[in-house]
Amino acid sequence: MLSRRAFVSACAGGLVTAAYPIRGVLSHACAPVPASQRTPHPKPRAGITGAKVLKAAQLKDHAKLIPLFASVKKIPYIMDGIRCNCLCAQPPGMYSLLSCYEGDAMAIDCAVCQGQGRLAARLHAEGKSLADIRVAIDAKFG
Amino acid sequence: MIRRQLFAFVLFCSAIHVPGASAQIRASEMGTVAQVVDGTRIAVQYYRPRARGRDTLFGKNDMSWGDLWTPGANWATTLEVSKAIKLNATNIPKGKYSLWMKLHSANAWTLVLDPDFHRFHEDRPDSNAKQIRVPVTVTSAPFTEVLTWSMPELRIDGGTLEFRWERARVGLSVDVTPSLVMTFPASEAATYAGVYNYTDIDNGKPGKAATFTITHEDNTLKGQFEPDDPYLKKFAMIRIAPDWFAPGVYDKFGRIYEVLRPEETWEFTRKAGKVVSFVVRGKDDAVFGRAVRKP
Repeated sequence: MLSRRAFVSACAGGLVTAAYPIRGVLSHACAPVPASQRTPHPKPRAGITGAKVLKAAQLKDHAKLIPLFASVKKIPYIMDGIRCNCLCAQPPGMYSLLSCYEGDAMAIDCAVCQGQGRLAARLHAEGKSLADIRVAIDAKFG
Repeated sequence: MIRRQLFAFVLFCSAIHVPGASAQIRASEMGTVAQVVDGTRIAVQYYRPRARGRDTLFGKNDMSWGDLWTPGANWATTLEVSKAIKLNATNIPKGKYSLWMKLHSANAWTLVLDPDFHRFHEDRPDSNAKQIRVPVTVTSAPFTEVLTWSMPELRIDGGTLEFRWERARVGLSVDVTPSLVMTFPASEAATYAGVYNYTDIDNGKPGKAATFTITHEDNTLKGQFEPDDPYLKKFAMIRIAPDWFAPGVYDKFGRIYEVLRPEETWEFTRKAGKVVSFVVRGKDDAVFGRAVRKP
């Protein structure tokens, strides 16, 4: 079996077309938005909460994502201040990365949304500010 | 002249009254070529006249030597760039322009970009200070029936925007503003250079082991696995943030043709200011490689 590193490299080079059982790599056709189409990071809405973020009971078929959604739920102010960098369709009411974890929750199937959420939660846990996290998001996702 | 103006008026009116262009049959159908290069979008929109049995087009009629001509038909061809670029080393600021050619002779034209982009082809702009002028060389090419703009050659930092019609070919060198600095200063290289014990992480568990070596060559920080990674081979480590890198993959000519961002982020960790280890994270931020620097 390919290691994930080898797989990522092969995918990038177009050498692998079959599905590979690693969630978040081929699970969605999302790609980062090209810099030419990128909008500024949104301003977090006053009083925003994580109440609409999907709960564990709503993620029964996606158990591996429960910790990610739980960590996102704890930092609504941070998540609401970050732009979603994927090319997924923008659902009605879409405002920020937080929106990707609410309602139909495109983050369930989108490795970019997942990556942005994990990175934000990780850096927040390390004590980074929203401004720092935005810089890191822009560095990683272009 | 009156007939031409009447045609222009009729064309203009039809554009207003017909809701969609799909049901119209035009001698010169509209076409677009658009290309994104490192986040910069370059788009040429134009109407595409055909030679229709005419063997020689340039040097006579509307394309006589000395004329200003839009390389298209109907409405002037437009060039739109989402960020500043260079065309044949001439700076072109972000914006939309009508595109014209001053036809000096069979092999020397001047590209003229005018910020007034919505002009009919016979409404040639007077020379003005806002125009950008780029001398171009015209070369001979196989006969091209339909006037064609394309970008047949791409690099990570630009490419060639090409015009062809009849036997004329103009190649414009395009350079975009790079989003990343590929080189790495020698003064900082020692911070990262060295040998690392690397382990793949598959589903959170250690997998295959390898040796990973970082060197500084040709003004670039480079990494290589042993055993060799067949896709990455020896690759450029491109700094995207302090202590964060993305791999740049070389083609067989030694040119970077792809940067694996956000597919791979190499994050280095320091202890007492010294780099001691790194992890490799995917675009989902999961760790899929871990390494410790050898003493």
